[in-house]
Amino acid sequence: MKKIFIYFTAIFLLMISSSIAKTSLEWWQFWTDPTIKPVINKMITEFETINPDIEINVTDLTWSNGHEKIVIAFSSGTAPDIVELGSDWIAQFASKNKIADITKLSKNEFGDYRGWNMATYNDKIYAKPWFLGTRVIFYNKTLLKKAGFDDSFIPYKWDDLKNGAREITALGKKYYGWGSNTAEKHRLYKKFMPFFWSNKAQLFTDDNKFCVLSSIKAIEAIKLYAWLHDSCGYVDNQRGIEDAFLDGKIGFIISGDWLLKRIELEKRRINFGTTLIPGPTLPGRSFLGGEFLAISENSKNKEAAKKFIDFITSAENQIEFCKANRTATPSSKLASQDEYFTSNPNLLIFNKQIHLAVNPPVDPDWVKIEAIIEEAVEEIIFNTDLIAEPLLDAQRKIEKIKGIE
Amino acid sequence: MKWYKKTAFLLALPWLVTFVVFWLFPLVYSFIIGFTDYELLSDSINWVGFENYKTLLSDEVFLSSLSNTFIFVFGTIPFTTIISLLLALLVNGNYKGRDFFRSAFFMPSVTSMVVIALIFTNLYQRGGYIAMLAQMLGFTTPEYGFLFDKNTALYSIMAMDIWMSVGYYMLIFLAGLKSIPDELYEAADISGASQSKKFFSITLPLLRPVALFILVVNSIKSFQVFQEIFVMTKGKFDTSTAVYYIYDTGLTTNFQFGYVSAAAYILFVIIGLFSLTQFLLIRRRQSLW
Repeated sequence: MKKIFIYFTAIFLLMISSSIAKTSLEWWQFWTDPTIKPVINKMITEFETINPDIEINVTDLTWSNGHEKIVIAFSSGTAPDIVELGSDWIAQFASKNKIADITKLSKNEFGDYRGWNMATYNDKIYAKPWFLGTRVIFYNKTLLKKAGFDDSFIPYKWDDLKNGAREITALGKKYYGWGSNTAEKHRLYKKFMPFFWSNKAQLFTDDNKFCVLSSIKAIEAIKLYAWLHDSCGYVDNQRGIEDAFLDGKIGFIISGDWLLKRIELEKRRINFGTTLIPGPTLPGRSFLGGEFLAISENSKNKEAAKKFIDFITSAENQIEFCKANRTATPSSKLASQDEYFTSNPNLLIFNKQIHLAVNPPVDPDWVKIEAIIEEAVEEIIFNTDLIAEPLLDAQRKIEKIKGIE
Repeated sequence: MKWYKKTAFLLALPWLVTFVVFWLFPLVYSFIIGFTDYELLSDSINWVGFENYKTLLSDEVFLSSLSNTFIFVFGTIPFTTIISLLLALLVNGNYKGRDFFRSAFFMPSVTSMVVIALIFTNLYQRGGYIAMLAQMLGFTTPEYGFLFDKNTALYSIMAMDIWMSVGYYMLIFLAGLKSIPDELYEAADISGASQSKKFFSITLPLLRPVALFILVVNSIKSFQVFQEIFVMTKGKFDTSTAVYYIYDTGLTTNFQFGYVSAAAYILFVIIGLFSLTQFLLIRRRQSLW
């Protein structure tokens, strides 16, 4: 009896000590799609097997309200150890010291990953790039052929895009040359800014002393964007535009790698091509963003959290994730050289565009600036024939936010 | 304390705790932070007095949202009230299929707002059924759809709201109609009163308490309009309302909780004054009648 009691006590103590010794990490992430969630779960299991002293608890967020939940969690001191952040949000949390400076923890990895600049605020790194994201032109080859263009036609320049869009629109009432986004928050600027950046327009002067949103270059860019919208535009939200493109109604749209996934999974029979965002004379610049993993400043397990982030963002795991999610642009340079990306012409276009893409300024006020730019674009394409005035008005508002006299 | 008082207190305790934690505390707390510069991600809070209120009264976006809210309230309530009364009168009679119509009219009220908003988003789009119908009748339709034009977006949402609400208020009016004693109509018949005389002299005056209830409830609901805007336009095309402004400024763009708490209290005062005016007006009229 005494022996049994001793055995049970020993087992009990062992169980308690093992559970006490385990480091528990909370991770908030956005990938809930049935094609990718099992991959995430598998990676966690693998990590926990390799690191039996660490336990990962995942919470899924949605894109519709995930940002709000993260903000509230940081404000109330209930943020998780690790959180997935969109590139636009990093400066906002870094400026308020809500996420940890991981510069020292990451110093040996700078050469191996792309996208660090989007996580750098005041010369410190606050998150590790997981995936990058950019937008390219998707075009309908069947419609182009119908409109008289030969198979080799690719819209490299603004004039090519205009001609192509014009001719497709001329095919008849059912067809539109250009998919134009309605006033969608967080989306509209990603469609206009590629034209803006391609024309070498800038938001601020190089010394950051003045906002130059209404420069001649910017006006030229918005003129083209407004022309496409007015003359050839199928206007809807992003999903609606993509639906219409897949139904063969639109000639050109700007979209991301998720559309490739949709075409593949829905087995769409569309003769399409992808190409770089056109510029005035040469291929132009696109929008650059990405998904990042950050550690909460209040986390008591920063090193364990970094260990997990390193595991999840390793080249092998990124390739596995990208294959499952059809993501085109991993942050790992090694992963991006995998045959999966180099053998697929569409994925190759995305990886080329990454080199010709511009990220919005890493600025805690970016969300507000973005909203002001979108309001100006919305005003120009929907409400007024004026071009410069709404941009000038937006410029003044941005200067006010940034305290520029 | 006597045993029955203790028991009553204990029985009421779950509700009291819920009330204090989820209603009273946020109410008082938001009133206090309305006088501060509290931002969600900021660690410091400073007392700013009436500064938030002053800024709000010159904030163009807030004022425009408030103006849209008033358009929504005054543009929906009369229609909702009148149509629901007419429907109640229609389904109050005795005829075959009456129960079907009662259920059909009431159905939108029990359907999720999100589902209805999504259906109407499709109906309102370019080439949608409503645009096609309007074109067949010779009307010009917005180039990109009803919800993508600032001249039609808010009114389109209001029309949907009226369609969705009338069934619920119809049911309340119907309950009011059922409570009017038959003897009054019989007496009117004996006196040779016409249908319209009976309606204006018996039905309408006796429905006044019900109408007051509907007006107050519908006003409060309309002043707080949010879901429709969130699902259908995200406040774009001049459709932002006061509550949407509070959500957007407080939770998605600026995170200025102090500022939006002040905005919420301005709305609170407006709703309070509006409801009080409705009470007073109807009470005064009742005493006149």
